[in-house]
Amino acid sequence: MTVPSVHPCPTRTDASLENIIDLRGVVKTFKNAAGEFVVLKGIDLQIRPGEFVAVVGKSGSGKSTLLNMITGIDHPTSGQVIVGGTDIYHNMSESQRSRWRGCNLGIVFQFFQLMPMLSLLENVMLPMDFANMYDFDERTQRALELLSLVGLEGLAEKLPLAVSTGQQQSAAIARALATDPPLIVADEPTGNLDSHSADAIIALFHQLVDSGKTIMMVTHDPSVTARASRTVIIFDGQLIDETIVRALPLLRHRHMLEFSRLAERRTYPPGQTIISRQQQVDSLYMIARGEVEVVLQGRLRDDTVIARLGAGDFFGEIELLHGGRSIANVRASVDGPVELLVLPRDDFLRVIAESPITAEALGTIVQRRLEEHRAVDRRGVRLVGKKRSGGPR
Amino acid sequence: MRPRWRKVFLDLFEHKGRTLLVVLSIAIGVFSIGVISGAYVIISNDMSASYAANQPANVEIRMSDFDDDLLAAIRNLHEVGDAEGRRVFNMRVRSTQEDQWVTLDIVAVDDFATNVLNLLTPVAGVSAPGRNEILLEQEAVEALRVQVGDELVFQLPGGSLKTLTVVGIVQDSLTGVDDFLAPPCGYITLSTLPRLGQAQTFNRIYASMAEGQDDVLHIRTVADDLRERIERSGYMVVRTSISLTHEHPLASTVNAILGILLALGVLIVFLSSSLIANTLNALLNQHLRHIGVMKLVGGRNRQVFVMYLVLIMAFGVLSLLLAVPLGGQGAYALSAYIAEQLGFTLQGYRIVPLAFAVQIAIGLLVPLVSGLVPVVSGSRVTVLKAISGDLAREAEAGSGSRGRVKRETGWERFQTRVTAALARRGIQIPRPLLISLRNTFRRRGRLVLTLFTLTMGGAIFIAVFNVQITLDDYISAIGRYFLADVSLDFDRPYRLSEVEQLATQVEGVVDVEGWLFLSADVLDPDGMVVENIDILAPPADSVLVSPILVAGRWIQPGDERRLAISEAILAIFPDLQPGDLLRLKINGHEEDWEVVGIFKFVGREGILAYVPYEYIAAVSNLSNRSYSFRIVTTQHERAYQVMMGERLDSCFRQNGFHVRQAQAGLATLDKASESLDILVTFLLIMALLTASVGSMGLTGTMSMNVLERTREIGVMRAIGADDRAIMRTVIAEGMVIGMISWVLGVILSLPFSLLLSSIVSLAVFETPIALVFTPTGYFIWLGLVLVLSAVASIVPARNAARLTIREVLAYE
Repeated sequence: MTVPSVHPCPTRTDASLENIIDLRGVVKTFKNAAGEFVVLKGIDLQIRPGEFVAVVGKSGSGKSTLLNMITGIDHPTSGQVIVGGTDIYHNMSESQRSRWRGCNLGIVFQFFQLMPMLSLLENVMLPMDFANMYDFDERTQRALELLSLVGLEGLAEKLPLAVSTGQQQSAAIARALATDPPLIVADEPTGNLDSHSADAIIALFHQLVDSGKTIMMVTHDPSVTARASRTVIIFDGQLIDETIVRALPLLRHRHMLEFSRLAERRTYPPGQTIISRQQQVDSLYMIARGEVEVVLQGRLRDDTVIARLGAGDFFGEIELLHGGRSIANVRASVDGPVELLVLPRDDFLRVIAESPITAEALGTIVQRRLEEHRAVDRRGVRLVGKKRSGGPR
Repeated sequence: MRPRWRKVFLDLFEHKGRTLLVVLSIAIGVFSIGVISGAYVIISNDMSASYAANQPANVEIRMSDFDDDLLAAIRNLHEVGDAEGRRVFNMRVRSTQEDQWVTLDIVAVDDFATNVLNLLTPVAGVSAPGRNEILLEQEAVEALRVQVGDELVFQLPGGSLKTLTVVGIVQDSLTGVDDFLAPPCGYITLSTLPRLGQAQTFNRIYASMAEGQDDVLHIRTVADDLRERIERSGYMVVRTSISLTHEHPLASTVNAILGILLALGVLIVFLSSSLIANTLNALLNQHLRHIGVMKLVGGRNRQVFVMYLVLIMAFGVLSLLLAVPLGGQGAYALSAYIAEQLGFTLQGYRIVPLAFAVQIAIGLLVPLVSGLVPVVSGSRVTVLKAISGDLAREAEAGSGSRGRVKRETGWERFQTRVTAALARRGIQIPRPLLISLRNTFRRRGRLVLTLFTLTMGGAIFIAVFNVQITLDDYISAIGRYFLADVSLDFDRPYRLSEVEQLATQVEGVVDVEGWLFLSADVLDPDGMVVENIDILAPPADSVLVSPILVAGRWIQPGDERRLAISEAILAIFPDLQPGDLLRLKINGHEEDWEVVGIFKFVGREGILAYVPYEYIAAVSNLSNRSYSFRIVTTQHERAYQVMMGERLDSCFRQNGFHVRQAQAGLATLDKASESLDILVTFLLIMALLTASVGSMGLTGTMSMNVLERTREIGVMRAIGADDRAIMRTVIAEGMVIGMISWVLGVILSLPFSLLLSSIVSLAVFETPIALVFTPTGYFIWLGLVLVLSAVASIVPARNAARLTIREVLAYE
């Protein structure tokens, strides 16, 4: 971790860092006449360089507060926020943080927030002036290049009010890139755009991620979320375990959060049996990391791997929903250890009963898996060695 | 308290800074009007009352020595109420502790106890001196730096020194009251005269009228009659002057100056009203949503109107609470200061009902009138417009999603094109500065009002400096009529060659001129004396007189019974032109003199005329001789002149000359300048008050701008602007406004200077004078306006820098 300085441009982010964003136990409490209100309840979050992360959450869930923590706009009540290797709330004044922000991250707002009295070109040059980056004479050229990157080369001299909202947002992205920050933070960047403009903006983000930038974006739009490399859901001031998000995406956020709290994390060494055939199953298993193998044992005690399940997949649901004992052996892949989230049967059944959509989706998955199982049992080892990718979606 | 009145109350105290700004801006106007109107009333009452209380003589006659017999004869005249004789002469005096000689007018009074005319007001010590004792006028005390009990050294014409003890300090409201150039006075009894080498006789008569003490014509007739009687008795009358009992000679001047101050006070009120309008406009804009909500829940236009009206009245009442007591104190302090300067006493502290009423009227009406338009339009706003006000603003700011693509205005295109054109020529304006420059012109109505107040303040400020330099220039121009570096006066005539020979032996002396003096009466066609004139007779080719001619020519060698006369004569003979004849009475003889030229001079100092020395010397049998000499030295600074005066004085005394006095030329002028400086100080105070209203206006404008642009400031912070960058942007905007106002102020200062200098010169000198410009005012104002703009923007700028981004960028 580096000690922040303010001149000329404080602490440029080191690209070789393991995590570009590292939140440790971040708590944020607001006080008003009605009393104290905890908006963030001990957030731990790590984001690696080059990730395209979508932050999703309902209104009031705390996602903007979370974003404010990362951008240095607001300060946490407790906990650490380390961005680009700098603890931005330690020994740094608000003013110093502004300078740090100008050099290290670009912000894209929902309402663009271009300075109305400056042309698009001047708007893009403004952060370079604040950060005092690049030679004075180079700034115009760089700003023109950025505007051309976002397709606005012909509108450089226009004032924001004279261009469309999509073009304003493109200009705002060009401005966010002005000081070449490694991290772009965007708050509902497509929230005020038509679908065509929104597509163009997301495509631009992909292009930026491909060129090595990290993007963290708050969004409501599922189509945008789908195009992000990682989704972080925040509910009631807490992050939902990403394994649950991937395994049971149709669950309500409230239930996901409940599962996050109830599930037990277990790690199995390579090859260790997790469930044996004919064993009573009393939990749902969700794979956080690594792979498991679903194995049928032949009469000659030869093992047939009928399926391989990876991160985001789950198992045990057939037995939980239909009763009975395990129809196959499940073991940790021989290639490496596996980390599982284990949810007790009663909790699972109670929540599923409250979430008909998830129940229906699970029913479909169960149906399909049973059919696959029967097919394998009847026709021998047809599926052996074929890895099934992904969990039920 | 009902909810809506509670809202008014909260509005008043919620934004203390804004309330303070509005209250102060009203209060400054109310205060200045209170001070000036109060002082106007106090001074016009007390000045003349104090003057009358000292029993001013209606007629003063300067004449040759006389005794009690003539005085008794005059007292017996039925037109004369009372008459007194005094002896007035001047002498060089210093304190025993100081080396510096001061010329003192010494007034010998027969009996202080029975004295009924031109009374003195005791200030300290005794009120009647005994033998070999002296009373000093306050001004003399300052000049001599002595206290009661100290000894004073008097230098007699023969060179011997005598001492008198200072036994009291008095205030003389009458002697030399309207003469800027009069020396300070001391008062002794007749019994002290021999000690100072003076005869125990009178040389002045002071008489009051039995009736018609305020009737100029009556007094003049009696004065003429007196003069004739005196002359018939074989005495020579040098000069007659008259005054009214109940009118201070400077009343019209003081009133004219208070009038100017009043005009400036009214201007301040006017300027503060534009500040109020600005602030209320912004307030109503900020309250648009409140108004919308109030209407939504059933508030009627009238109710909303009354609420805001009450708010405005509350601003007025608060400023009155502040300004009325201060204004009353200020009025009395100003009156006391003027009274001290002009030597009269006030009748004591009091509340002036007129000033009180005017202040209340202004304090309530001005905010009401200036706030009426914004309040009426604010209360009429529709619910829809009021509720959607924020959205409208957002769209206007170009950041709203609902705003459609708009066309840039001509002004906006002009701005971006100019910047782009400059950039193409390699002149890059940093974007934060561009923000300041373009922000300046965003709220044009507000900008105009702010510029108006600041420009007015600046124009007056600059004008005051121009007026000061104009007055100084005029005073020194007057000096060129009769003052050399050193004036050397003797008690008897000496040959020019004799004096010249000795004087040129003193190192530093360049030139010596012998001058003569004469007094004459101007007669009207009926033979009545209408005015006294002082005739100066320098050599026709004198290098010491550079007249400002209004008409005709200057005197020439060989002129006989020809004179150049000051333009004050036009007050008596408005049609007088060069070539006309003027009937004069000189030494008892009536003669017709031809006017060859008319020149500019201070009207208040009486009428002055110049004739060639050569002619006067011939007719007075003083050929090549004179009592009075004007000496030019190598250097002309005051200190050098004083030193040369001392040197010449001792040189001539050592050589047996009967020196009356050797006086530095600038000494008298400095005194005149000092009295004008008081006036200039007042003008400057008013200019500073105007400027402070202007800078308060700027503070208000900058605060409102910052308040309206919090979102933009938040965005700037978000993209990397630190505290300094934000503050620089705000302060630069304030300074741009300051600079624009300076340029406008420079332009506007021209008519202001002309107006102010002509009003002041007419009031003080009774003649219009040519305006002179000085860069001082322009530069000082430039510095001041930049400092004021920076200071005015610092608080809003700090507030801007303190805004946290979270406050200004609401995400959800």
